[in-house]
Amino acid sequence: MIIVLFTIVTYLIYVLSKKFYKKLNLAIFHPLLLAPILLIALITIMHVSANEYMEGSKFLSHMLGPATVAFAVPIYKNLSIIKKYIGTIVISITTGTLVAMISTFLLSKLIHLSDDFIVSILPRSITTPIAMEVSKEIGGLPTLTTVFVIITGIVGGIVGPKVIKWLSIKTPIAKGLALGMGAHGVGTNKALEYGKQESVFSSLAMIFAALFTLVWGALITTFI
Amino acid sequence: MKIIKVILQICFLHVFLILGAVLKYFIPLPIPASMFGLFVLFVALCCNVIKLEWVDQGAKWLMAELLLFFIPSAVGIINYQEIFSLQGLAIVFLIVISTMIVMGITALTAEKISAKKKGESH
Repeated sequence: MIIVLFTIVTYLIYVLSKKFYKKLNLAIFHPLLLAPILLIALITIMHVSANEYMEGSKFLSHMLGPATVAFAVPIYKNLSIIKKYIGTIVISITTGTLVAMISTFLLSKLIHLSDDFIVSILPRSITTPIAMEVSKEIGGLPTLTTVFVIITGIVGGIVGPKVIKWLSIKTPIAKGLALGMGAHGVGTNKALEYGKQESVFSSLAMIFAALFTLVWGALITTFI
Repeated sequence: MKIIKVILQICFLHVFLILGAVLKYFIPLPIPASMFGLFVLFVALCCNVIKLEWVDQGAKWLMAELLLFFIPSAVGIINYQEIFSLQGLAIVFLIVISTMIVMGITALTAEKISAKKKGESH
């Protein structure tokens, strides 16, 4: 009963936030920011704890599983594009994942984060289910990682289009790869606004970034 | 009718999630079951074991509504009081800077390679 209620309430608030965001088109009203804020307000008023709420809306988080599986479909549909651009994709994403982990590590040291936080924040630029897995492997706290992944998504959705504009990036492949590499699913969602090609490259970037980060994660655990 | 089709296809996608979990059980690599599932579905599509129409609509819906599935975990942020402090602000700052660097370098790398390729083919 609770599960049905929380799922429906979350869905309604999500749809509402999405409509609101589309109308105003202001980054601070991003659905991934607005919907959780509204929900936090709601559960606070109703005296429901965050854990009870998350337990009740488990069904929705569970959908990240089949959603990850679903990414096989755009890969399959765009096999000819992948074959054509495999070199560009592999080089760009290798660079991207390394820059993501190294810059995150150095900046974490700079602001004196605790070791727990550092290992939890390292896989922040990849999609949640895999980021949680990498986090577990390298000794981080998976739930904390989820939070960093989401902040990265929101930030990436906002700064992504600006970076593309400032660097006057022209090609769909560069735009798509940057969005998917920097901001996983949220970036891919943003890429849809640019066009179909951008969104394809963005989903590819997301999948490759997840894979490469798994490899880097395995290397870190082996050598440290 | 479309909504029923989407629901049925999402149920069908779970078969691949389960197959992924089975693979994960036999292959002890730090890869989540959903990623194994992605590979199984991809291979099944390539080998014509299943038709694209069987999963296309469901997959499209899941990917379009991806943000919805992040929301419950996003609410969990209130469990981390540290985030709502000066350090939290520093972390957001870190993420902004790092994300800009990552996107900038990725975009420039891809753009450079594409320009080179174009030059070669002319």
